[in-house]
Order: sequence, then C-alpha cells, then structure tokens
Amino acid sequence: MRYALALLAAASPALAAVQELWWNLTYVENANPDGLAPRRVIGVNGTWPPPLMDVSQDDLLILHTTNSLDLPATMHHHGMFFNSTSWFDGALGVSQCGIPTGQSFDYIVPINSSGQWGSYWTHAHSNGQYVDGLRTSLVIHPTQEAHQYDEEFTVILGDWYHDEHSVLINQFINIANPGGAEPIPDAALVYFGQNGTYLPPITGRNPDPVTAAVGFNENATLPFQPGKTYRLRIVNTSAFAAFFFWIDGHDMRIIEADGIDTEEYATDIISITVAQRYSVLVTARNDTSANWAIHANMDTVMFDTVPDTLQPNITSSVSYALGAPLTDSGFIDNYHDIADQDLVPVQVIPQLPPATKTFELEVSFDTMDDGTNHAMFNLLTYNTPLVPSVLSQMTLGTNATDQNAYGPYSFVLDHNDIYDIVVKNSDTGKHPFHLHGHKFQLIGRAQDYTSTDPTLNPPLVEGQANPMKRDTVQVPSMNSVTLRIAADNPGVWMFHCHIEWHLEVGLAVLFIEAPIEAQERNAVPQYLIDQCASQNIATSGNAAAHSDPDDLVGLPAGPFPQILGWRPKGIGAMAGCVLTAVIGMLTVTWYALGGHISDAEMEHEERIAAEAKERRGRFLGLAKVFKRS
Amino acid sequence: MVNVFSVPIFFIVFRETLEASIIVSVLLSLVEQIVHEDTSRAVSLITDEKREDGRPPELAVGEPGSPEVSPPELLSEQDALLAKKRLIKKMRIQIFAGSGLGLFIALAIGAAFIAVWFTKASDLWAKSEELWEGIFSLVAAVIIFIMGVTMLKMDRAKAKWRVKLQRAFEGKHVGAGANAGRWVLFVLPLITVLREGMEAVVFVGGVSLGQSARSIPLAAVVGLICGVVCGFLIYAFASRTTITIFLVVMTNLILLIGAGLFSKAIGDFQENAFNDLLGADVDDTGGDGPGSYDVRGNVWHIDCCNPENNFDGDGWNIFNAIFGWTNSASIGTVLGYVFYWVAAVAVLIYLKFVEGRTKLLGRESAAGVRRRQRAALQHDSEGGSVDKE
Repeated sequence: MRYALALLAAASPALAAVQELWWNLTYVENANPDGLAPRRVIGVNGTWPPPLMDVSQDDLLILHTTNSLDLPATMHHHGMFFNSTSWFDGALGVSQCGIPTGQSFDYIVPINSSGQWGSYWTHAHSNGQYVDGLRTSLVIHPTQEAHQYDEEFTVILGDWYHDEHSVLINQFINIANPGGAEPIPDAALVYFGQNGTYLPPITGRNPDPVTAAVGFNENATLPFQPGKTYRLRIVNTSAFAAFFFWIDGHDMRIIEADGIDTEEYATDIISITVAQRYSVLVTARNDTSANWAIHANMDTVMFDTVPDTLQPNITSSVSYALGAPLTDSGFIDNYHDIADQDLVPVQVIPQLPPATKTFELEVSFDTMDDGTNHAMFNLLTYNTPLVPSVLSQMTLGTNATDQNAYGPYSFVLDHNDIYDIVVKNSDTGKHPFHLHGHKFQLIGRAQDYTSTDPTLNPPLVEGQANPMKRDTVQVPSMNSVTLRIAADNPGVWMFHCHIEWHLEVGLAVLFIEAPIEAQERNAVPQYLIDQCASQNIATSGNAAAHSDPDDLVGLPAGPFPQILGWRPKGIGAMAGCVLTAVIGMLTVTWYALGGHISDAEMEHEERIAAEAKERRGRFLGLAKVFKRS
Repeated sequence: MVNVFSVPIFFIVFRETLEASIIVSVLLSLVEQIVHEDTSRAVSLITDEKREDGRPPELAVGEPGSPEVSPPELLSEQDALLAKKRLIKKMRIQIFAGSGLGLFIALAIGAAFIAVWFTKASDLWAKSEELWEGIFSLVAAVIIFIMGVTMLKMDRAKAKWRVKLQRAFEGKHVGAGANAGRWVLFVLPLITVLREGMEAVVFVGGVSLGQSARSIPLAAVVGLICGVVCGFLIYAFASRTTITIFLVVMTNLILLIGAGLFSKAIGDFQENAFNDLLGADVDDTGGDGPGSYDVRGNVWHIDCCNPENNFDGDGWNIFNAIFGWTNSASIGTVLGYVFYWVAAVAVLIYLKFVEGRTKLLGRESAAGVRRRQRAALQHDSEGGSVDKE
C-alpha cells in the first residue's frame, strides 16, 4: 500500500511543472508536541507542523502565502538560488518588507531553472517566527538520483521552546543578560515525513489532539523492512541547538549534504548544526526480533546551563515489528563533528579560480554600550536597513555600486568575480553560517586562525579538484573557514549566523551582488512595493532612504562596543573626587589649627561639661561605655 | 596584601589603642604630680590596700566632703622621698594592672565576638555577598566618620582626663561607678581601656564583617603595637602642636578610608541590585570589562586594576583600602565619595563654630561668646595671658 503511494507520489511531480501551494500563516493554539506544555505555535492553514514540501527538480514552486499573524511575516526557502530574483528570498528587511497582516505574497521558487535538488527546508525569515514553529522541510527529487535506495524518510530535528519567541527575545536582548546567554530550549523534537506526509504516531499511542496526526519523539517510529536500504534526509530546523544523530545497531553513509550529492561517506554519528541537512543511507537489519533506538541529542555545549527539567537527549525508533523489544544502547560520549571538507561531491566541479577579493569577517560577541549583548562581524553589529536592500539596489541607478549606500555591514560584489569569505570565529561558541543565494566552495578550514602553525592554520590551497560545496557551514571557536563564491547571482544576499538569537543580535552582513545586472533583470513584483508602502516603509534610495548614496543620516546603528578607560566624564568625576577630598583634608587642617584653645580653657570647658553631665543624672553613665564623650 | 592586613581595622585598633594609651599616660603623670603636691590625698587612693594590711581605718579618708586629711607621719625628708617613690610605684602597679585587665577583657570579648561572627554568622552573607559587604562598608564608613571627627579632639584627652581624675580625687563620680578613693587608680584605667577596647571590638566587628577573617589578627596586633608606641611617644616627647599635626594627618587618612568605604558601600549595593537583575543562574558576570558591570550610570570602567581581583589585585586593593579606588565607578559611588567629604567638611565647620573657635557668617556660638567674655575678663584682671602651657 505504502509502496503504491510512494510510486504515485514519485510519479506525480512529472505531471505538473507548476507546484502551487496556498499557505495561510496562522496561530495554532495548544500545540503540545513534546507532551510537556501546550503552547501557541505558528502553523499553516490551522495545522501544525506546517506541511512538508515535496517537489521535483523540474517543478516551478509557487507558494501563495497569506499572513494571518499579527506581525509581518516572510518565507525563506533555505538554500534556493533565486537566480536574479532575490526579492523572493524572503529575508525580512533585505529582500522584502514582510507580508503585512491580512495580505498575501506569492513566492516563486524557480526550482526548474536553478539546477538544484536534494534536501532543503523552508522557514520564516522574520521576527523569529520560525522559532514558534513556522518551519518545514523541502525535498527536491532529481530526475535521476545519484544513489540507489529503496525508500526514503525525512527526519526533522528541532529544538523546542515553551515560551513564544517574543518573550524569549526580550529576555535575551536585555540589560539583565549582559553575557548574552541564549534562551535554552525546553525540549527537543524529532519527527518524520515521507513523500510529503508526516508519519503518524505509533499505533496505540495517544498523543496530544492538536498534533495527533504526527508522531513525535518516542511516539514516532521509522518502519523498516529487513534487507531494504533507506535514505534518511536529516534536517536540523532548530533555532539554537545542534544535534548528534545516530541509530543503534545501524550504520550510516552520508550521500548528501545541503543539497549536494556526495560519494558515500561512512559515519557512526551525524553531527548537524542549525539549518544543515544530511542524507544518509541506512541498510536495514536482516532480523526483525528487535526494534532499535534512534538518538537525537542536542549539543548542550552552547547552552548556558542545562536545567534539570531539560532532557536534551531524545529517542525515537526504527521498528521492524510492532511490539518487538526496543534496543537502546544509551548515551555515547564520542561526539565528533563531520569533517565536511572531506566529503566529495558526486558532480565534479573544480575549485574556482583565485579570488579577486577576500572578505575577512571576524565574529565576536560582547556586552555593548547599552548593556545588552550583541554579535558583531568586524566589531559591527547588523541593523536592518530602512529600505530593503533589494529595493536600494534597484532604485539607486549607477550609484547602486556604491558600497556605502547599503549601510556599513554591506559589501558590493562585481558580476562574475570570484570572492573569498573568510569567517574567523573569535567567540567561544560554534556558529552555523549561512549564505543566501549561493553554495560556497568550502576551500579552507583552520583550527586556530591566530596560529602560525601551518597544521593549525594551513595556507589556502588553490586548484582543488573537487571541493565540497554547501550553504551552511559550522565554524567552531577560534576556527576559520574560507568560502569561495562566484558572483553569478545578481541580487542581495544575506550572510548570517543561523542561530536565530544571533541573527537577531546582529550577526549578519549583506552581499550586494552585481547591482547593475540586477537592475537590468529587475522584475520586482508591484505587490512587494505596495506592501512596503502599506507599512510606511520607503521603497527607494539608499539604506536610509536618501537619494544621495552616501547620506546615511537616520540609518539605525549600534549598539556599539564599549569604550573602556578614561573618558571625559570619568576624568571629570575623578577630578571632582580628588578635589573634594583635598577640600575635606584642608578643612580638617583648618579645624585643628587656628582658634587655639589653651589647656586651661579646655579643662574649664571639660569641667563645665562634666558638671552638666552630673546634673543630668547618673543613669546616663550606663550608656556611656559605647558612647563617645 | 589586603588579604592578610585589613587597613580599616589597623586604623581602628590603632586609634583606640592610642586613645587608651594617652589616657593611661595622663594618669601616670598625674599621679606623680599628685603625690608630689598632695601626698595625703594620694595615699587615700590606695587605702583599700592599707585596710587589707590591717592599718587603722581612720586612714581611709578622702570621702566626699572631707577636704582636710591628716597627713601620715613624716619621719625625715629622705624617708618621705622614699615613701613617695614607693607610693608612686604602687600607684603605677595599680594603673598598669587595671589597664592590663581591661585590655585582656577587651581582647577576650573581641576574640569571642569575631569568632562567633566568622563561624556562626558567615553563612548569613555568603549568599548575597555584595549586599552584606555594602551594609558592613556603610556601617564602617559611619563609624570611621565619627572616629575621624572625634579623633581631632584627642589632643584634649590630657585636659579631659586631668579634669576627670581631679574630680575623682575630689570625690566626685567619674562616669561608670568609679567612686573616688577606693581603687580609683585601678578602676579608672580598667574602665578606660575596656571602654576603648569595646569600642574597638564593636568597630572592628562592624568593619571586619566585610573582610576575610585572616585579614584581622595581623592588622589588629600591628594597630595595637603602633597605638601603644605612638601613645608613649606622644606622651613622652611631643608638644601639643606635634600631637595636633599628628592627629590631622591621622584624621585625613581615616576620612579617606571612610569616604572610600562609603563609596564602596554604594557600589556594593548597586552591584547587588545588578546581580539581582541578572538572576542567580547567570555566571557570566565577574571580572572586568563589558558585561561585568551595569552600564547605566557608569562613569568610568577600566579593564584592569580591579581591587577585588584576588589574583593580581595587589597594589590596587591597597589603593582601594586607603583611597577607595575602584576600576568601575558609577554616578552613585562618585557622589557618595563626594558627599562623604562634604558631610565631613560641614560637620567640622559646625563643630568649630559650636566650640567657639570660629565665627560663621559673622555669628558667634554660645561657647564663642563665653570664650570671648572669659578672655576679656582674664585680660582685665591679669592684664595678660593665663595660658600655663
């Protein structure tokens, strides 16, 4: 039966070259996927989780999105190129102004012309709405798969909060949180899909009614049949947490990362950071005597604390037979990253020629001059420009090539030039960096970019035959990565940390790619401009809505790194302190000297005082022990 | 260094010891004077001993209202001199015995007090250290303020105690139940030393709560020794002018410390409030630099030189103990420091005015009027200065 459905699903995309989806973004009350706490989530068409997206390589995907939320929303198809149509990229404030409440926006995702297939995902790129649940997987089936397998499943991993994003972000960007401790997830979720449909809970389990159609965590299972080979598409849709994923009793072979098919690469564990995807081949066991645990453990290294109430390690199962005993080998402690630069793409593309320009971006976090913690690239924190950069690019004419026009966190790329982006992570945490509109070549990695030791900080190697490509790369602390791109996609592309909290404290830059060519291909839909206007957002001019490209008056900026040391007010205050102390000491001297009282006079005064005291009565003397006379 | 030597405690002990030793010195010189001037009255001061010796009770004179006492038999000039010397020696023994006992009791109470605080009560402030440190710094600042201002009057200790002693010899009550005649030379230093000692205990207690236990003993002992030595030196060699200069320097030091402590108290309260804001789970605070302090109201923050840094804070914590240095100052701590001094200035001006030693805006205090009138009187009757000094 399932096999027949799969056949049908596999066959159907070929029938329709245009896949249209109508999504109404809605709040869904009392969703309780982890069984711990019901909460309001953001779903689609009144349901949560949002529908899985399952299309073919030759499809044109159109997502008709209506926003029924109370804040502007956007949808971002993570990893899609949107070649020369970056206004459909869905980055709020960069590629559009957001869909106002009650309005609609049609996202045209030209999959059929982008040459992309594999595992992707779709999520809100606005106001942290994906943290509240607006996220799902996007699977693109090629006409010819590079690897052979019998069946496939999508494994969706995600961290889960019991508070809404709006609450958490206020706690996070707060003077009470100078260390910038990110909101710690309350739970982890794993759930499965197949051919665009979620797998239901294990028969006999009674999960929460709102999400009753979907099995989560221990209520979910992957039905395996002996001898078959399965492809698991693992997607980490977290806001914050990276995951370690493995299946007891089963080996895994990586065959795809971020939409790039790779040669088989055996691994015992998948370490997958936020927004990354891996496909693995898993061959089923030949015995059906036991079911096996699937482990998805959140990487708690980035968590400020691990509260007692948090179970960071969740399990699901691979089931061969209903009711068979579950084999759970428990915790493993040999967590390790995947050496993703060692992955070999199936489609051989040599390293791009040496870069004409290299952008060095050093990541840092600090408590800023307003007392809140922010992230910075090169000591500059990102702020959303007043005019979406795509519209600046389109409306500035020849001034559009002026890098200043887009704000200090922007870089203009010339058409078809080669660029290197070197990300240096000076922070103590590991960060997943995502470049919109491109797949970068991962051509260099250093374990310590400050080192002079070539094993820790190797020089860049040119002429690599077939470097790995992906769209989201993890950069551990003190590591650097070198990412090479060809500026062949006119538009505006964001480069940012995909930890939602870090994006919102400014860990982002913009690449303004081939502005003149972008203008030549300008087809910004009128409804995009109208939606800006309806929110009183300017639709032309530079980042600060001025026609003079270099006039950035009014552009949001800061907060800025604190300047410590002796600044004018400190010097003034110190001088004031010293001055009063000197005056005080002079007064002491003045008091002691001058107006001399002779010993005889003193004795006279003491005598008067003593007699006066005596007259007051003796009982007062009791208190005198502790009283100065 | 401040870890093993608390500067405020040194100054408190030093000051109290100094006062006690000055008083004891005054007593010592006074008895000598009295013996030479009026042997019979001097004898009366140790009558109790004589009673124990079985001497006739009629020698126990010196009761209130009996100014005339029959002197003991005087055999010869030499004998009299010898007797006087013996008498002085006996009196000195009494004085030292009294001081010694007073010191012992004070030390015992002090040790017990501090032991109880540090063993039983230390849990009390472990949780919110900044709050307690702030409270104790505030208490210490107030104590030091009073101490500093009153210290300036210590050059009057001689006059004061001369009056007290004379009144005691005259049979008047001398404070805490020391009746004249009997044991006065024992009781008076005992009470004095005990009183100064108790003050020191209370002050040390008040100040020490913000300090580590091991910073107290050394400071207290050094303060004790310095106080005794300075007391002796002042008594033996110094003129009143020298004492005054000495007291001015000491008071300035003490007020500097006090202003620093007051400022620190405010800083501690603010830090406590900031820590409350951050919540118990946040462990990102501490140290220097961004995130370690509240940017609101901050006036200066230097990314080093933290006096509370136990690892490389040497020098800066002494700077802190004496001048109230902090690497992170707020409007509150700066204003606290300034207003402490303003208060000191105001009090000193007021005191000098009340004592009749200065006019304020052309007005004279009651004491000032009295002094002027007396000076005029003396001028009229004697036609010159009466200053015996």
